[in-house]
Amino acid sequence: MSLLSVENLVAGYGPVDILQGVNLTVEAGRIAVIVGPNGAGKSTAMKAIFGLAQVRGGRVLFEGQEITRLPADTLCGRGIAYVPQERNVFRSLSVRENLEMGAFLKPGNIARRIAEVLTLFPPLREKLAQAAGELSGGQRQMVAMGRALMLEPKLLMLDEPTAGLSPLYMDQIFDRIIAVNKSGVGVLLVEQNAKQALAIAHTGYVLATGRNRFTDTAANLLANREVAESFLGG
Amino acid sequence: MTLLGFSSYLIALGTMSGIYALLCLGLNLQWGFAGLFNAGIAAFFAIGAYVAAILASADSAVHLGGFGLPVALAWPVAMAAAGALAWVIGRICLTLQGDYLAMASIGIAEVLRIIIKNEEWLTGGTRGIAAIPRPFETLLPAPWNNLAFLGLIVVLVAIVYLAAERAWASPWGRSLRAIRDSDVAAAAIGKNVAQFRLEAFVLGAMVMALAGALSAHYFKFLGTTAIEPLMVTFLVWVMLIVGGSGNNRGAILGAMLIWLIWSATELLTNRLPAEWITRSSYIRVLLIGLLLQVVLQKFGKGLLPEKPPRLVGERRETR
Amino acid sequence: MAALSDFINLYLLPGLVVGCIYALGAIGISLLFGILRFAHFAHGDMMTLGAYLAIIFTASWGWSPYAALPVAVIGAAIVALGLDRAFYKPFRRAPGIVSVIASFGVMLMLRSAIQLIWGVDVKTYDIGIRFPMEFGLLKIAPRQVTIVLVTAALVVALHLFLTRTRLGKAMRAVSDDADLARVSGINVEQVIRWTWIIGAGLAAAGGVFIGIQTKVHPNMGWDLLLPLFAAAVLGGIGRPYGAVAGGLAIGLAQELATYRWFSDEPFVDPGYKPAVAFSVMVVMLIWRPTGLFKGRS
Ligand SMILES: Nc1ncnc2c1ncn2[C@@H]1O[C@H](COP(=O)(O)OP(=O)(O)OP(=O)(O)O)[C@@H](O)[C@H]1O
Ligand SMILES: [Mg+2]
Repeated sequence: MSLLSVENLVAGYGPVDILQGVNLTVEAGRIAVIVGPNGAGKSTAMKAIFGLAQVRGGRVLFEGQEITRLPADTLCGRGIAYVPQERNVFRSLSVRENLEMGAFLKPGNIARRIAEVLTLFPPLREKLAQAAGELSGGQRQMVAMGRALMLEPKLLMLDEPTAGLSPLYMDQIFDRIIAVNKSGVGVLLVEQNAKQALAIAHTGYVLATGRNRFTDTAANLLANREVAESFLGG
Repeated sequence: MTLLGFSSYLIALGTMSGIYALLCLGLNLQWGFAGLFNAGIAAFFAIGAYVAAILASADSAVHLGGFGLPVALAWPVAMAAAGALAWVIGRICLTLQGDYLAMASIGIAEVLRIIIKNEEWLTGGTRGIAAIPRPFETLLPAPWNNLAFLGLIVVLVAIVYLAAERAWASPWGRSLRAIRDSDVAAAAIGKNVAQFRLEAFVLGAMVMALAGALSAHYFKFLGTTAIEPLMVTFLVWVMLIVGGSGNNRGAILGAMLIWLIWSATELLTNRLPAEWITRSSYIRVLLIGLLLQVVLQKFGKGLLPEKPPRLVGERRETR
Repeated sequence: MAALSDFINLYLLPGLVVGCIYALGAIGISLLFGILRFAHFAHGDMMTLGAYLAIIFTASWGWSPYAALPVAVIGAAIVALGLDRAFYKPFRRAPGIVSVIASFGVMLMLRSAIQLIWGVDVKTYDIGIRFPMEFGLLKIAPRQVTIVLVTAALVVALHLFLTRTRLGKAMRAVSDDADLARVSGINVEQVIRWTWIIGAGLAAAGGVFIGIQTKVHPNMGWDLLLPLFAAAVLGGIGRPYGAVAGGLAIGLAQELATYRWFSDEPFVDPGYKPAVAFSVMVVMLIWRPTGLFKGRS
């Protein structure tokens, strides 16, 4: 049984369907990555799982149970954490408060979990009292991931965590994703930096215009000439 | 009730419905067409009423007056005055959206109400303006004079309705709807958003002013109680929402329906024991509030929802 | 000296008291705007409701209004929860403007219900005549002190709630970004409920203070609404501390505007006192809709 499986998902905004039947699977403890051109519907897939886009067909299973259209807090409660692509921190709240908000559903043991997040993201240690809106992009991404990890999720969904980051920060974030995954958390990752993402992933999905174009192991996708030419920038 | 009493009741009912229908049509121009959240209807109603009353009433020791203008002149001036005020307000306030425009317009309306209350030399303050002539009053015997006045109102409602219908189907109306639904997109295709909004706001205000003028001449007395926000602003909002904003027929239907409920319940409750009569008017407000909620929740778009206008030639194609 | 004490006794202190009352109402408007994204037009009537709920206890059982205050606060909070359930919750996903229209309806219903239950006459709490404490030429009424102190205590409590408790922080989080709050697992409905409880509770406290300070009548909610909006807008709508400052500023401005600043005549005719608040609001809306203080964009 897969950790997450998305079957024939049709979803969109208002009257418009963006996803036209998308299939995705994340195995427990593995990293799956979605790549594809801008506007392919990568973010929409994640939003649809979390109810930010309307689901009009297909279903989503988590640990074998249907979770299609369940409210976001139920999903969090089941162990899915999600970091959106944009606006992913509470800007007016301090870093510590951001982390605490990640633990809203699981209020016990907050101090220990904050300590764990800080070992994962040491730069946040001295920023704890600062408003998240004042941090640099990379630090903000750390806060967002930290907030999601406060749930101690089984599945972490990250939408372009490295967008707009300097190469140095980018490497750090990829490194942290591997670390999180090593601790047993399944990861669903949307990435523009497709090569690097596929390099750390187990499975890969290429999405284009709301449909699956390629689905394979990450290694095979990296080796696939057609994928490389059309989607990985040669 | 005698036949004469009943017919004069019907005439009064029709007259008030007509005045409210004008207010609703005016608000529909602003809200239904252009999405402008005007919560200061009372301001334009008041300008229309007071300008017309001052211009047309006899000389008075209390307030400004004695111009003795005929209504055919006083009403257009009243409308123009409201239009001018709306233009000034619009130039300043129409950049505000939604709730903010509601707050600003309600604030302006209240300032105006305070001015009217305080400036006795101009408006008679709480003592009001008396002896405003009603058209046809001396020309015909009762009830024919009242019937004629009602006829005048029906004609005015019809004119405003037909004009509004034309506007709805015109390129102007289409542009307004585009702006209402997305001002960014409309600006992107080259619409002068501010100008369109201002035009709808001014036109709506002038129609509201006409309603104000009619009401002042109908009651022949104008005091500050006539421009209370409850009976002007909020009741009109309820009417438009119930009838269906974005639909001129809905605006008229809402006005007639709510006014019918309002006055018919008054007729019923007048038979209650005396101590209940005063209370009954609150029951009516309560019911009107509840009706608004029911319509909002069950018929979100009102009883007659908005329809896109029929395009020229479409009728043939649908056959 | 006499002029100065006059200024303090007749303008500054009343302004401060009125300011406290406005602040209590404006906090709710600001919090609700931050969380639910709509201007709550029935909020003035929540204050009226609080004032009348206290009357039940002062009139029937001869309670002191201070003793009735907590009960009125709880009562108003319960009513607000019911109103939210019935009239606002259906529109959570609709544009905010629909909720504004719904709040017009709630305003009409609340006011008429109050008129129906308690009648239209002006009422007072019957606290008897208390003589003001005199400090030289200064005359301070005990109730003025109480109102200011209780308001201060409530604001401090609100501050502690918003910065120290899980729910308070969640409230700020929802106000910051409701979608992110939802996907973070924050129970947004729970936060909304507490926003109503706090907003309505503080409004009710303000309403009781009005009764203690002057008198109670069913239409006072309407007279309060625009000063409350003015205060919330001045403080930057959505920001509760701004609302406190805005409330004080509007209250003081209204009272001080009628002082004989430049001549023997009041600077602003007392009949125009309410216009001061409205004018401040309209000017603010046009000039700086995000508030006087550094606000969020
Ligand atoms: N809230 C929304 N309302 C309407 N349309 C939207 C919304 N969000 C995205 N879209 C549209 O949906 C399509 C897919 O967007 P999506 O954000 O899923 O793309 P993406 O693959 O994540 O692209 P990117 O790499 O740029 O993040 C785009 O055409 C976009 O314009
Ligand atoms: Mg995206």
